[in-house]
Amino acid sequence: MIILDIKNLTLEIESNGVLIKALDKVSLTVKENEIRALVGETGSGKSLIVRAISGALPPQWIVTADRLTWRGENLLTMKQAQRQAIMRRDIAVIFQDPMAALDPSSRLQEQLLESVPEEFVEGRYWWERNRSKMKIAKQILARVGIENVAQCINKYPHELSLDICQKFMIALALISQPTLLIADDPTRGMETNIKKQILALFTHLNKTRDLSILFVGHDLLAISAMAHSMTVLYCGQTVESGKMKALRKRPLHPYTKALLDSAPSFSPDLQPKSRLVALDGTIPTLQHLPIGCRLGPRCPRAAKECVQAPTERSINEHKYRCHYPLHLQVV
Amino acid sequence: MPITPLLKINQLTYNPPKRWNFFSPRPSFVLGPVDLHVHESETIAIIGGNDSGKSLLAKLIGGAVKPTSGEILLNNQLINTHHSKARANNIRMVFRHSAESLNPGMSIGSMLDEPLRLNTQLSAAMRFEKVNHTLSLVGLMPEHYYYYKHKLSDGQQQRVALARALILDPQVIVADEPFAALDPSVRSQTVNLLLKLQAELGLAFIFVSHNLGIVRHMADRTIVMSEGQIVESNLTQTLFTAPEHPSAQKLIHAHNSLVSY
Repeated sequence: MIILDIKNLTLEIESNGVLIKALDKVSLTVKENEIRALVGETGSGKSLIVRAISGALPPQWIVTADRLTWRGENLLTMKQAQRQAIMRRDIAVIFQDPMAALDPSSRLQEQLLESVPEEFVEGRYWWERNRSKMKIAKQILARVGIENVAQCINKYPHELSLDICQKFMIALALISQPTLLIADDPTRGMETNIKKQILALFTHLNKTRDLSILFVGHDLLAISAMAHSMTVLYCGQTVESGKMKALRKRPLHPYTKALLDSAPSFSPDLQPKSRLVALDGTIPTLQHLPIGCRLGPRCPRAAKECVQAPTERSINEHKYRCHYPLHLQVV
Repeated sequence: MPITPLLKINQLTYNPPKRWNFFSPRPSFVLGPVDLHVHESETIAIIGGNDSGKSLLAKLIGGAVKPTSGEILLNNQLINTHHSKARANNIRMVFRHSAESLNPGMSIGSMLDEPLRLNTQLSAAMRFEKVNHTLSLVGLMPEHYYYYKHKLSDGQQQRVALARALILDPQVIVADEPFAALDPSVRSQTVNLLLKLQAELGLAFIFVSHNLGIVRHMADRTIVMSEGQIVESNLTQTLFTAPEHPSAQKLIHAHNSLVSY
């Protein structure tokens, strides 16, 4: 069953009197018990999607969508309180950059205890309830792999290293036992050992607790190790989505191929020190978006038709938006 | 391979400065003693867990931090004194967050001009020529001379940081996590650029990285650090197939298990 369904989400930002489409008809679904990866480079709008789902956008930005639903309920039209209740209990978000997302002025303990949902707390009197909260907090911290919990819990975020803060963010998100976890670049800058630990935790929760995960990031190595399906985003447009295996085996969009090629670990027969395949240039800024397919200026297969935005086509569950996909010969 | 190494490091150690008073925290981290040698046009990668002293070692070699004891020999000449010209000219550093290490108040041109003005006898016209040449070397345009940092994209800023390291025609470049903040496609571009420059100029390149895929692709030799010590140093291919030290094994196995899905 599809729990989160996004269809043609468009986000417009006004800049100097002109409306800029920061997100252009993005479609994304997350099924129950599925790990979906949302892949894109910096500036492709992945974090904007996360913020659009969680409702953390400034009011002057215009969000329109054919569908933006959580279990069939429209997130855009529902009451603020109802939406907050969903965000509180069903969807949890791990925001990018833990140092910025954590409150610098209160200890980790306070931050964690205040997010324990009341339903989980046992006991009648305040001392019993406090003890119960503390127990829940310690359990979750041990589960995410923070060693010497007693030492860390009484510190402020700036006193701890980045990866402990990151683990702490994950604990904060998991404490309400959500149905969907949205993880915005949770493994950025982590060393391989810790990354593996975190990914193992996610996979474990997915298997034992039926947790669905929307994993946002551009660490393809981590993503391909755990995700079931993947959506690739470029510059606010979804370019391709489908099952992880199919995408890795046979990408149809030139951009997906370029992304996969950029990780040397994926091509075992690549000679050391040989040139890596890379697209020229960089992702355009919001002020200078090309018309039509936004990959156009950088795409090796671009042609005249690419100034028209391609419509979505699909082969089985593998969807792509490209006029000249890789499985067709260029005439 | 030449017999005398280009850069030789003997018994380099670093102890944090003495405690200020009784209440200041006790320093716990000690680096070294470290021995290392680097040949011409060789790439060396430094990997290791968090707090293993990788970045500190890079800074010690690059001269950003003063070592407590030990010596660094470049072409068999001692360059230990802190403000040595030989070091500034021949060992250049690319810092971890290249975007933040660029001065927002200076144009790219004057940023690149400064090391030339301070370290060489070139005339203004020759310096201008040299800056333009270096810009084209890293794949930027001559007009980027007049740009400020905020106008450039991530990849271009990385290129400027690299240009700043290259401008004095160094023999060794030390880079602290040059790829960490970059997007996949820009990362591939930077890797290609470095490989090209190394082939053209015969640079020795020492870099710190978490990304073992890139390490495997680029490095000739890989050094594994743990708790301030070099615990293993070997040819990259050998190290990745048969790591010996437990902490090296842990890193490599974690990487391989991610790749093998």
